[in-house]
Amino acid sequence: MQSATAAAVTLLLALPGLAQAPAPQSTPPAPGSKPPAAAAPAPPAQPTAQAPRPAGAPAPVPAQAAPAPGPAAAPAQAGAPPQQPAGQEPPPKVDPKIFDEALKDYFDNKQEQAARKLYAFIESTPPTDENYAWAQYFLARCLIDLNLRHGGAVYLAKVAHERSNPQVLPKTLEALKVLTLVPHDEALIDEQIFGSLDLGFLPDSVSDYANYQQGLVDLRVGNERWARTHFVKLDEGGVEASRAKFALLVTRLRNAKGVVDDQMIDDFLELSKDEKLTMEARNEARLAVARLRYEKKDYEGALKAYDMVQLPSLDPGRATLYLEEAWTRYNLGQLRATIGLLTTLDAPSFRDEFLPDKYILRALVYRDLCQYLPAKRAAKELTRRFSDSLESIRERDDLTQDFRLRRAANSHGSTKRASRYLESLNLESENLGRHAGGFGDRLYKHLTKIYDLARAEAERVYQQRLRDAVREEADKLLRADEQVRLMEYEVGLKLYERVKRGAKLVQPEKQASLTSAQIAFKFTGEYWNDELRSYRVSIPSRCLEEGAQ
Amino acid sequence: MKRTLLLLVCLAPVLAYAQGDELESPGTVLAVQDRTYRMVSELWIGVGIAPLDAFYKGLTGQVGYVYHFSDYFAWQVGRGLLSYNIKTGLRNQLETQFGVSPTAFPQLNWIVGSDVMWTPIYGKTSWLNGSVGHFEVFGTLGGSVINERIAADVASGTGQTVFRPAVHLGLGARIFTSKGVSFRLDFSNEFVIYKGLEANILLVQLALALNFGGTE
Repeated sequence: MQSATAAAVTLLLALPGLAQAPAPQSTPPAPGSKPPAAAAPAPPAQPTAQAPRPAGAPAPVPAQAAPAPGPAAAPAQAGAPPQQPAGQEPPPKVDPKIFDEALKDYFDNKQEQAARKLYAFIESTPPTDENYAWAQYFLARCLIDLNLRHGGAVYLAKVAHERSNPQVLPKTLEALKVLTLVPHDEALIDEQIFGSLDLGFLPDSVSDYANYQQGLVDLRVGNERWARTHFVKLDEGGVEASRAKFALLVTRLRNAKGVVDDQMIDDFLELSKDEKLTMEARNEARLAVARLRYEKKDYEGALKAYDMVQLPSLDPGRATLYLEEAWTRYNLGQLRATIGLLTTLDAPSFRDEFLPDKYILRALVYRDLCQYLPAKRAAKELTRRFSDSLESIRERDDLTQDFRLRRAANSHGSTKRASRYLESLNLESENLGRHAGGFGDRLYKHLTKIYDLARAEAERVYQQRLRDAVREEADKLLRADEQVRLMEYEVGLKLYERVKRGAKLVQPEKQASLTSAQIAFKFTGEYWNDELRSYRVSIPSRCLEEGAQ
Repeated sequence: MKRTLLLLVCLAPVLAYAQGDELESPGTVLAVQDRTYRMVSELWIGVGIAPLDAFYKGLTGQVGYVYHFSDYFAWQVGRGLLSYNIKTGLRNQLETQFGVSPTAFPQLNWIVGSDVMWTPIYGKTSWLNGSVGHFEVFGTLGGSVINERIAADVASGTGQTVFRPAVHLGLGARIFTSKGVSFRLDFSNEFVIYKGLEANILLVQLALALNFGGTE
């Protein structure tokens, strides 16, 4: 069973994930679909209204948009957006009307054409143009609609950084907030945008989220006081306020260093009933309650908290939940219920989980029931199953190449997020190739460069996190392996223990009979998700009564 | 003696194997769950057919009430069936080409009855590996009173309405959709107790059942 510190670490690892957990009301824009009617049609009207130009006439400000006499004029434009590297062709000049055409294409669901035109407009227009920010925003929307989310995020981030048009900013930040629901560039969006925004000028719709993110950044660097200055600004009835409370509680737990007070448990319990939090976050709070009660040896209380964990219909749940509950029941002396939960952990849904504890616990239960051969077999199962990984550790191989350890490391925490982000970048890069024709040469090359850079950085971050994570998993495995050896030794002694004269088996424990409201399905190795918490094991004890001669 | 020894030698590995298996993975595992659906007071309404008679096919409408004493045993307190009969081609042919009187053909009018219901099977099933459905299978046995029109004299073409007792035997299945609503499919046969024209009436029926007071 994990200690309170371990629980705190687990929660902290889960925290950024929770911070980015999908809020119930927001959904990412569907690929290929139009933006919401309330939000989408308005913006194109605004720029057109702000920059009235007679139809078919050239733009009134030649310095901004009139066709330049030649390529030589392009570098002369102050702050021309994309810097042309040496040897690359300068962008062709385009008619400013292309912006309106692009918007028409966008709302006609022709994202590829719209993106190509918007990029051409951005390339040939100085950032001071009033439509420049809108063009960036709509280019981002086109890319997001085409499932090129990172490309979209880059352009949204540009709008947020440059802030050249205050009217575009709220929509940009809202779009960025939606992007945080899926794997994304944490450094770019969470830290560089929301973590460093000037909060005084933010619209209400995103100010809470930005405050929450900035508070989280402060918490991560250990500055709780600064974090609180952000959290107190949150709307008390909002989702972010609840999430901030959770983050603060986790930080308190981390700093408590094993000292658990009842107030902390009560706070987590209260949070577990907060409907504003996602089900996942509420379950995390319940698990925190269970773990803290376990640390205080309040096993009954811990079981109640585990029972409170709610899972969607037919959801198998999380392996750690069952394993922790199994430890709790073991400590309560409910050996058969423990084996029932361990049976659950053998389900196909959890076959790939890295749970060395599972084998130790099973061996302990069998040992306590004096079923020594099964105990020995259960303990040896660990060394059999993880033999390759143990060999790699002993040979001091590169542990990141070990399949099981890598999978275990990728299954949680920041490594999981980095892995998912890298995976999504790879998919998007593949997806980019399909739009090569539609985007045109210039935009395609530009996006390819963006994706290559992003993938290289994501790979670096992932490898860095993976190295640390596999070491932790390897330590866990080594500790379990050590336990197995002890168990084998202990069981070996018991197996060859001399049976005393007149020894009798202990009276079999009375099994609870089925009530009229219950139904029993004999388990024959076929797992049903709705049964995972219902296994009841009947197993005789082979222990001898004390007092034999 | 030799045969006994040979038998023992042959059986010994089997016994040893069984014991070894028990030693390696001892115990049995049951998935014990609360019944998701439990019936208490059931009111049902169904439509069906009486397909057996060669001279007519009955389209039936039936209602009934069942009280469930437990998950296994129930009493179908009452059921009433009304049949709307449709002539078959054979009967039409007999009437038009051979001049047989329409009243010469026996046919079912209505049935009332009461039964006991036994539900030994309750199970669940998977739908496209995405959802779990629950069902039960039951049998019914009871008595009925049948109102039939029979031909009093086939030669003269006269008929009369009579009441006949019958033994009702049925088999059915129920699929639960929610705490209060289920659908049942019944196959039943009325064994008419009379030395006469009609020995049995087969009924096939699909019914909507409403459950009151059950738990989910």
